[in-house]
Amino acid sequence: MIGGARFIRALPYVVAGVAAGYLYYVASNFQFHERPGTLGPDFWPEAILVLMIVTCLYKIVSGLVTRNDATEIGGVLEEIVEESVEKHAAGSPLGKPLVESHPYLLIAGMALTAGYVIFIQRLGFFIATVLYLALFIMLGGYRRWAVVAAVSVGGTLLLLFFFMKVVYVSLPIGQVPFSAVTLFLMQVMGIR
Amino acid sequence: MEGTLHNLLIGFGHVFEPLNLLVLLVGIILGLLVAVLPGLTLVMGVVLALPFTYGMHVIPAIILLTAMYISGTYAGAWTSILFRVPGEPMDVPLLWDGYTMARKGEAATALGWTLMSALGGGLVAAVVMVLLAQPIAKIALTFSTPEYFAILFFGLASVVSLGGATLVNALISLFAGLLIATVGVDDTYGTHRFTFNVPLLSDGIDYLVVMVGAYGLGEVFLRLEQGFKSAPLQAMHQIKTRLPRLREMLAYKGTFVRGTLTGIIVGLVPGAGATVASFLSYGIEGQYGKRREALGTGIPEGIIAPQTAATSSVGGAIIPLVTLGIPGSGATAIILGAFLLHGLQPGPQVFATSSNIVYAMFASVFVGIIVMCVIGYFAIKALVRVLEFPEVIVSAYVVMMCILGAFAARNNIIDVWLMVIFGVLGYLFERFKFPITPLVLGVILGPLAESSFMTTMISYGNDWTIFFTRPISGPLMAVAIITLVYPVFRHLRHQSKIRRALKSAD
Repeated sequence: MIGGARFIRALPYVVAGVAAGYLYYVASNFQFHERPGTLGPDFWPEAILVLMIVTCLYKIVSGLVTRNDATEIGGVLEEIVEESVEKHAAGSPLGKPLVESHPYLLIAGMALTAGYVIFIQRLGFFIATVLYLALFIMLGGYRRWAVVAAVSVGGTLLLLFFFMKVVYVSLPIGQVPFSAVTLFLMQVMGIR
Repeated sequence: MEGTLHNLLIGFGHVFEPLNLLVLLVGIILGLLVAVLPGLTLVMGVVLALPFTYGMHVIPAIILLTAMYISGTYAGAWTSILFRVPGEPMDVPLLWDGYTMARKGEAATALGWTLMSALGGGLVAAVVMVLLAQPIAKIALTFSTPEYFAILFFGLASVVSLGGATLVNALISLFAGLLIATVGVDDTYGTHRFTFNVPLLSDGIDYLVVMVGAYGLGEVFLRLEQGFKSAPLQAMHQIKTRLPRLREMLAYKGTFVRGTLTGIIVGLVPGAGATVASFLSYGIEGQYGKRREALGTGIPEGIIAPQTAATSSVGGAIIPLVTLGIPGSGATAIILGAFLLHGLQPGPQVFATSSNIVYAMFASVFVGIIVMCVIGYFAIKALVRVLEFPEVIVSAYVVMMCILGAFAARNNIIDVWLMVIFGVLGYLFERFKFPITPLVLGVILGPLAESSFMTTMISYGNDWTIFFTRPISGPLMAVAIITLVYPVFRHLRHQSKIRRALKSAD
């Protein structure tokens, strides 16, 4: 059980260390013409990667050897905050707020965001954004449909107007037949 | 001195142009809203405002972001005092005395002390900022690449050392940022580094994409996982501010001075922003204040100390940003980003090349603080009402602004993908307690650090000891190393204290 906890604690550093190791391999194969007496373009990233690997190794080894985080060296801010909170909050009515966890909500939100980026080129900014905003708000548990509709359609129209007409950002129009919707709105708003 | 005053007057002239004044007003209101709105932080707010500055001239762009930065250090205090909901980590110390005062029925008085602390601390720090900036820039003009690298090294070391996480996690975060900054075609050799045959990566990864993803989207993912639960509010109709009388304020002059000085000094140090200033100032008041024993029971000193320090840290933090081009915090990193977006590189030369922009920024700090307090006094009730706004709707728009901000940078969907990747990375960083600020500062300062290091190596025949032997870079490197090692000593001392206490208990 303790071994499992230690492994989970060490996991982010294992991932970071392995990634750094791979990137070091990539950096050591950079193509360039060497100039005698001059450091190459690989020196700086390699130096950073070595430092990163050493830091991760230290953390992995200390994480596997020690039982808890008592040996963690905190930044000065973290220690100042912790000391102050311990000192002043002890007798206060302010308890630590309970934090809920909804991993499925998180995964759905991430998938929805990735889906938006995938489909925006096909559906165009207006349709994709209205759908995204409505679905995201509903995913967050908000169920006042009139507000959802107003916020997603009205907000998207405002964003479309501001970014295309004021800031001159060329937002995705979409592919046929969806592009007709964006083009129609652009015409109505006087966007060329 | 005369030249400084003359330039400052020109700066005020810029700020009082109708459009710039409107932008400042919008910035102040947005900053106040950002600090109050659930689901938004000060840094996120400034990041999200950045895309709106693409089409602006540089002066209104800088005024907008600076105004948001200033007011973002103030309004979080309202929710801390009234509803026990700290808008930002810097507002946590205000819970101990501010909220306690509110519970005793003295909320209006507590809000009055907050306002006067922000006003007093902010204005004094702004004066110090104007007085110190040009002399520091003059000294910095004499620096060569070893000194510049030493300054950057010190800046990055203090970000790691002072960051709100463990030293190791902050180091890993910084290394990740420095590494991201190496992606693209190398300037000297033209070598493709970590581009993996993706054409867009040849131009490097835009720091804006990293900032927007890690600060904005990452935070939304974290809140989504927590289920968007906003705290229920009470007693909204009772909100008003009662300003303290001059005689009352003079009774706390020591606290005002200590808080302001702490804020300015902490603001000057890269990595230590308003949060460190606020906590440290509260701690100093607990050590040296006249009524230190009563701190935490709802006394004005417990409000004045953190609030003066938080607002005065803004003036302090702008000094290294403008004179050395080193942002000390997330918010100043974004303001640096705005400078760079408009083709300006802050640093010692900026006073010679773009003094009108710098002094317009300085003037906007003065005007911004006053406007912020006036709005805070009259509109607090209306502004606090946004707390009732559903967090999920705010978050949906935050995501949208992140996507648009990333897309608008180069009109390319790959940047949006990169932003989403950095959003997931930002979430993982938050989840596993890796600080984001070192990552972002690594991305921004990485190219400068690499070029000053490589140029020094070329100029001095690869002799790395040059950093330690020159009269300015040597002490700076030594201070940087001490800054890095200090938390280790602090930790060891703390551990030995615990061991001694356990022994004596046995």
